[in-house]
Amino acid sequence: MGGVFSSLFSRLWGTKETRILILGLDGAGKTTILYRLQVGEVVTTIPTIGFNVETVTYKNLKFQVWDLGGQTSIRPYWRCYYSNTDAIIYVVDSCDRERIAISKSELVSMLEEEELKDAILLVFANKQDMEGAMSPSEVSTALGLSALKSRTWAIFKTSALKGDGLEEAMDWLTNTLTGGTGTGSS
Amino acid sequence: MFSLLKGLWEYFFRKDEYFVVILGLDNAGKTTFLETIKRRYISNYHGMPLEKISTTVGLNVGRIDVGVQRLVLWDLGGQQDLQTLWNEYYAECHGVVYMIDSCDRHALQISAETFNRVIHHADLDGAPLLILANKQDREDALPLTEVESAFDTSVESIGNRDCRIQRVSALRGEGVFEGIEWLAQRVKEKPNRPLKPVKS
Repeated sequence: MGGVFSSLFSRLWGTKETRILILGLDGAGKTTILYRLQVGEVVTTIPTIGFNVETVTYKNLKFQVWDLGGQTSIRPYWRCYYSNTDAIIYVVDSCDRERIAISKSELVSMLEEEELKDAILLVFANKQDMEGAMSPSEVSTALGLSALKSRTWAIFKTSALKGDGLEEAMDWLTNTLTGGTGTGSS
Repeated sequence: MFSLLKGLWEYFFRKDEYFVVILGLDNAGKTTFLETIKRRYISNYHGMPLEKISTTVGLNVGRIDVGVQRLVLWDLGGQQDLQTLWNEYYAECHGVVYMIDSCDRHALQISAETFNRVIHHADLDGAPLLILANKQDREDALPLTEVESAFDTSVESIGNRDCRIQRVSALRGEGVFEGIEWLAQRVKEKPNRPLKPVKS
């Protein structure tokens, strides 16, 4: 009962922070994206062991963004962070054709999680500044995104290094999130 | 006893789920159409301002209840390289909405060709078609007859499917609800594939 009131209260007066997870294989550019979003600059990063969490303000909306380490040994811990997630940013290294299949299987098993049932999915086909990068449609085919039938999703080509595509993607995210639940399920 | 009552309850209040794909070239107004519908059928749905809608690069999903029917609407991106995704949604869909930008004279022919390709897909056999000539609120919109004549070549391929073409303004909501209710009725009367009850 208390929970009902507190959720009602926070809906009426609270400024609910939207919770976003940034996931993807190691070396995809998750941390670079996080800090690009937060400070607008490219910072030098080292492989994340554990996580980075920052509050990002974009067009008056506050996001609590979690960037989780992507190495094989720490991927099992992603699930500890799933609850109450509004959106997932899934980052793919568009040049890494060898590991795109692994990236797909990680994505698929993640999306099967009950806790992420209502989260919207935003895929970043990252590293578009590099030669030989796969196009967004190639990435979406490789990830099997068309198998998603009840989830709102989008794919953007990005270059975290140059800052390309991030603004478009964040615009989409804010618009979709402010539109209530992404799917509008009743 | 309880399970009997529960069974009865479920029988009477059961909702069937129908899937509808919204197709058409990019910038035809598919997402605006979906948003307009969501606002009307989902209570407490605020939605994003219609003027803020940008190009869809993926999928927008809408779930609405029309009477005892649950419609799941799939609004797919219409850009050339995203059209390959469309096929993946045909196998499960019960009805098709095809949007046309009535103001874009140059794209009309391409739109008609795309439509032709869509309806030739075997998975869409028997699925009712709702063709919408959108943006009729604008002064430079082509009249319905002209839009229709561009789609003349498809008449044969439509065959005996239920098909309706109508003028709409997704932005103003004109014609939108008649259209979707017609489609809801059609998919209910002649489902082209087995239905799944709604999982709650």
